[in-house]
Amino acid sequence: MGKYLIKRLFTSCMTLIGVSILVFFMLQMIPGDPVTYILGDFATEEAVAELKAELGLDKSLPVQYFSFVTNAIQGDLGTSFITGYPVWEEITLRFPITFNLAVMSLVIGAVVGILLGILAAVKQNTIFDQLAMLLSLIGISAPSFWIALFLIFIFAYQIPLFPISGYDGFSSLILPAITLGLGSAGNIARMTRSSMLDVIKQDYMRTAQAKGLALHSMIFQHAFQNALIPVITLIGLQFGYLLAGAVVTETVFALPGIGSFAIDAIAKRDLPTIQGLVLFIAVLFILTNLVVDLIYSLIDPRIKY
Amino acid sequence: MLKPTFVPLMLAFGLLVTGCTPSSNTAEEPKQSSNRTLDTLVISATREPDTLDVQKTTFVDDSNSHMYDTLLRRDMEGNIVPGLAESYEVSEDGKIWTFKLRKDVTFHTGEPMTAESIKVAFERYKENSPVANNLGPIEKSEAVDQHTFKVYFSEPFAPFANNLCWAYLGPVDPKVVAEKGDKFGETPSGAGILKFNEHKRGASIIYDINKDYKWGPTYVANQGAPDFNKVEFKFIKDDDTRILEFQKGTIQVMLDVPPNYLKPLEVEKGVTIERVNEQALTFLGFNNKKEIFSDKRVRQAIAMAVDRDPIVNVALEGVAKPVNGPLPPSIAGYSEKIENLAKEKYTRNINGAKKLLEEAGWTDANGDGIVEKDGKPFSVELWLTKEPVNTRIAQILQSQLKEIGVDLKITVQEDATIRANTPKALHDMILWKFAWSDADVLYAMFANGQSIRVHFERDNLHDLLVKARQTTNEQERVALYEQIQEFLVEEEPMVPLFVRERIIAHRDIEGFKFNPYSQSIIFSDIKAKQ
Repeated sequence: MGKYLIKRLFTSCMTLIGVSILVFFMLQMIPGDPVTYILGDFATEEAVAELKAELGLDKSLPVQYFSFVTNAIQGDLGTSFITGYPVWEEITLRFPITFNLAVMSLVIGAVVGILLGILAAVKQNTIFDQLAMLLSLIGISAPSFWIALFLIFIFAYQIPLFPISGYDGFSSLILPAITLGLGSAGNIARMTRSSMLDVIKQDYMRTAQAKGLALHSMIFQHAFQNALIPVITLIGLQFGYLLAGAVVTETVFALPGIGSFAIDAIAKRDLPTIQGLVLFIAVLFILTNLVVDLIYSLIDPRIKY
Repeated sequence: MLKPTFVPLMLAFGLLVTGCTPSSNTAEEPKQSSNRTLDTLVISATREPDTLDVQKTTFVDDSNSHMYDTLLRRDMEGNIVPGLAESYEVSEDGKIWTFKLRKDVTFHTGEPMTAESIKVAFERYKENSPVANNLGPIEKSEAVDQHTFKVYFSEPFAPFANNLCWAYLGPVDPKVVAEKGDKFGETPSGAGILKFNEHKRGASIIYDINKDYKWGPTYVANQGAPDFNKVEFKFIKDDDTRILEFQKGTIQVMLDVPPNYLKPLEVEKGVTIERVNEQALTFLGFNNKKEIFSDKRVRQAIAMAVDRDPIVNVALEGVAKPVNGPLPPSIAGYSEKIENLAKEKYTRNINGAKKLLEEAGWTDANGDGIVEKDGKPFSVELWLTKEPVNTRIAQILQSQLKEIGVDLKITVQEDATIRANTPKALHDMILWKFAWSDADVLYAMFANGQSIRVHFERDNLHDLLVKARQTTNEQERVALYEQIQEFLVEEEPMVPLFVRERIIAHRDIEGFKFNPYSQSIIFSDIKAKQ
């Protein structure tokens, strides 16, 4: 296990270096920069040159990149060109909201998705299977902004159970979590159904049935555990995407998370913020994938590192 | 293949949920807001300021400007009137401005405002602001005594009076500046009607009412603080979400109501709508560096092909006013005479436009509907940002220009991309706008070295613009700007289109006023509706 973790650490570092190079140089290629954003219609050549020098953008690209990387290694992701706040401070301010939202969404998505998937698999080709797959299709197909507005209209406006927008604690995340959870649930339900069907057809399941085991024991003690690996992989990926910030949902619910923050930074070409956010999200993905891989070994004793 | 039970289930669900989403076409009965006295005035806005330190940003609006009061102000008719400065005078040569300050003004910390604090503010602004040119060609400033302040310029700078009406040049508390330095924006302090309380980044800004405030504008009934205690600006980008919050009553003032929600809000009980001209002129800009637009007759022909009525009434749903001249009515320096001159000269006339193009050498030799010259078709690209209304406007322009044989291709680009590439003259045409509160904006648009969007620079125009900047006599200045605008109407380096109306909705309050010349809310008369 120790060797495996060291190997993963090494490959993770390589990944992060690759990501940092890619995002840095890609940002240089897209048109627009923070200077023209800040100066607006006063962006004369002279004013642009002056502000570029002030922000350190007049230095060569390798020098800028090297400066960024050496600071990042020391935990300094730079200062936003637009707000003047440290990038790390902005991230730590907003990330807890996104994290809480991701966890809640995933719990909803996993619980609903797995139960629907099991139901569909066990009751294959019945009305329950069709209903389950219809619901999963709606979850996948319906745009998140539409689900969000629907939920807001019914449960925050007509029946004011929840706030319409903004973040003021746990209750503010329920409707956004349901919005995102329904989308995840759709994918998880389909994967669970497919995986369960593969397992249900196995010989040992027929043996279990012949032995007279109760249905719930067959499903949850035998079938489900063996069907879990691809489902866990999918849940891990979903979590990674959710941590990157569900931009549309955050915008509709006016949640100050990292998704909406990232979009803002990109529109304003706030280079340190974009670079810092991308690195941060890359680290999250790497950690999530590592946790998922470690969970495999817990579920399936045949997997050893 | 879907089983038969699938389809009716899907349809039924679809109908159910479609019927439940917010509609922009039906009048809603208002939600009852709680019957309480007004403690916190909640205002929704779409854009959060980048920083609360207005000396470090180019974006200033209601959400970050009211902490700072200004030396001068614009009244409701656009006249410049005293503010924190009781009076001012300009020397004969226009280079020395002397201000007499009010003696009763204090900063939020309780420190008195003095001439020295103005000096600190100006120096800080000059050092930090990306648009320090708002100060003009300042040589130095001087605190003559506690309440007399002088500014010395190397050349006369007439726009200074207008610029002093903006929060950029409002005094900042020198004590807090000294304590906080670069971090002043985290706990800003000025002499404005609002005091900083809390900034929940990404969500809202909360201000306390400055109860010591008693130096408000003379053109309002109450020059002191209003009765309520706090103002909260909530930043909600999504239009539907903002509307629902407003209809629920959790927001009393909704800035920038989307045009498609105007009609339902107009009929909603308890809601008042204010319509105010923006200070921004939207125009169809030519890249005058391109050969294709070098002939004035081509530009004039295109101007003659444009019909503003469908743009205003259809694309903008009537929430705009057509403008023909280089300045809209909401910018000081606007001239009715020039507006009528431009309207008459460029009255839509397809035959006249075709004739002008023909004179310039553009004819439809091959009968394909597009004019050519030297074998090249008149095909140009129009850049615009991705705001949906811009696409509708561009489509209307495309069909109008087609009538005179111009092939207009529409390209939607990111705002940052257009800002980066237009100074490099990579574009053919842009759908853009400029905004400011003074005719000096024409300097930013057309002076030599400044014309980064339309690239139209002429020495005689530059000389006039510089002269207008340096003329402090108001009447002479007006006459100069008329001359400038006449020239621009003749040359038509851009086709002015419209000025949008800003729609503001409010409920449960009375006494709400919005100054169209400073584009700001006047808080002092606001109280809960009885």
